Amino acid sequence: MENNYIEKIQIHRKNRIAGLYPSAKGFIVLAYSISTFILGTFHLTDMRLDLLLIPWFFVIPVLCIISGVLAKSMKAMKAVATVSAIIFAAQLFLIPGGKVLWSFGFLKIYVYGLRSAIRLSFLVLDVAGIFVWLFQTTSNKELSRAMEDSGMNYKAAYVFMSSLQMIDILGKNSKSIMNAQRARGVETEGNLIIRAKAFFPSLVPLILGAIIGSEERVLTLEARGFSMQCQKTHLFKLDHSGLEKPAVILSTLITSALLAGRVIWGIMR
Amino acid sequence: MEKKKYSIKTDFTMLAILLIPIGVAVNFVGGQLASILKLPMYLDTIGTIFAALLCGPWVGAVTGALTNVLTGIANPVNFAFIPVNIIAGLVTGFLARKGMFSIWWKWILSMLIMAAVSIISSAPIVVLVFGGVTGSGTSLITAAAMAAGANIWAAFFGTEGIFTVLDRVISFVICWMVMKVIPARTLVKFPIGSNYLHKKSQTK
Repeated sequence: MENNYIEKIQIHRKNRIAGLYPSAKGFIVLAYSISTFILGTFHLTDMRLDLLLIPWFFVIPVLCIISGVLAKSMKAMKAVATVSAIIFAAQLFLIPGGKVLWSFGFLKIYVYGLRSAIRLSFLVLDVAGIFVWLFQTTSNKELSRAMEDSGMNYKAAYVFMSSLQMIDILGKNSKSIMNAQRARGVETEGNLIIRAKAFFPSLVPLILGAIIGSEERVLTLEARGFSMQCQKTHLFKLDHSGLEKPAVILSTLITSALLAGRVIWGIMR
Repeated sequence: MEKKKYSIKTDFTMLAILLIPIGVAVNFVGGQLASILKLPMYLDTIGTIFAALLCGPWVGAVTGALTNVLTGIANPVNFAFIPVNIIAGLVTGFLARKGMFSIWWKWILSMLIMAAVSIISSAPIVVLVFGGVTGSGTSLITAAAMAAGANIWAAFFGTEGIFTVLDRVISFVICWMVMKVIPARTLVKFPIGSNYLHKKSQTK
């Protein structure tokens, strides 16, 4: 029976890219981010636009397809895409400087506006996108285990993981508390003052409940030997999928190639 | 009461370590709630302030930094504001250690200090890195002011400044309300909790 339980809590991924050891995935994220910044220094065309960030973004959907998590990733990407779109529109129309590229009535697009719109919105899209890939292919348990293995203090790893869990838990709690308060007659629609007043009865019970609960949690953790300074054993094992070496080598090659390309391009100009 | 000696180690008790995830989650949920209720404020420092009030500057700073790291994963704009949240946690924590929250007028004073510090520390980042527009609701108002011709710093302080003060006022009021309701036996377990015990009249 023990063996069945231990087996049940393991996570085995069939897709070998999604099942990469978390540190390999972390390396890919790092390499992608560094490459994003390198590509951001290629100022193309007369207007010095960072156009290479745009095709670089499409590496992410490709990566998601290979890892078999495209559907879930696209849902998560929608939120990121919305933020990115707002930044793009705002920077495009509101930053003045340089030639006027297009004007319609009082709306004007300047060169500086276009430049910073492309730069900021795609920087956001690229970096957030690769993290979306990471979080869609790695569960909290795997992340936590990987952080501990990499040498991080187990208390810090615990705080990190507990934060992620708490965000989910308190998020659910806040929805049910808000519904309960609405049923009791708290108004959540109307003018600004009414809506601001609705904030308090929603948040105070939430925080209170969380704090009272944490007292018990201290006891629970202590009873499980959390504070003991000794070698820890783990029930959860991390899988290696076998493709770690090729993945790391490929990422390093691509990033180095981009770096070399940038240097050469800089020399040639 | 004799003067307590504070050190980083004594700040990070087990309860403090458990408070950090709650603080981070409250920051997160506060921000969500603010956008559900369509309030023009971030309201994402409630947890940081709370952790700083109860456990001191370093715990508050860690809560703030961790919040921005985690929210930054979904929206990298927030990575740039990590220093702002850290400073908010540090300032509130140091004020709390000094007992700046015992009387109502001290609360208001600390609140204003904290709001001013937040505005001053976020202004350079918003203006220099993002040109005044970060894509959030309040920054769009700033953008509108800029489009109408206002100087970028003036637009920022005029719009974000006012909303940040409101934001901090509401955050502090929430923390004060929660402090009132937490039972004394829980408050005492926190490093600075004893500052908030309700003084009962002494009978001889």
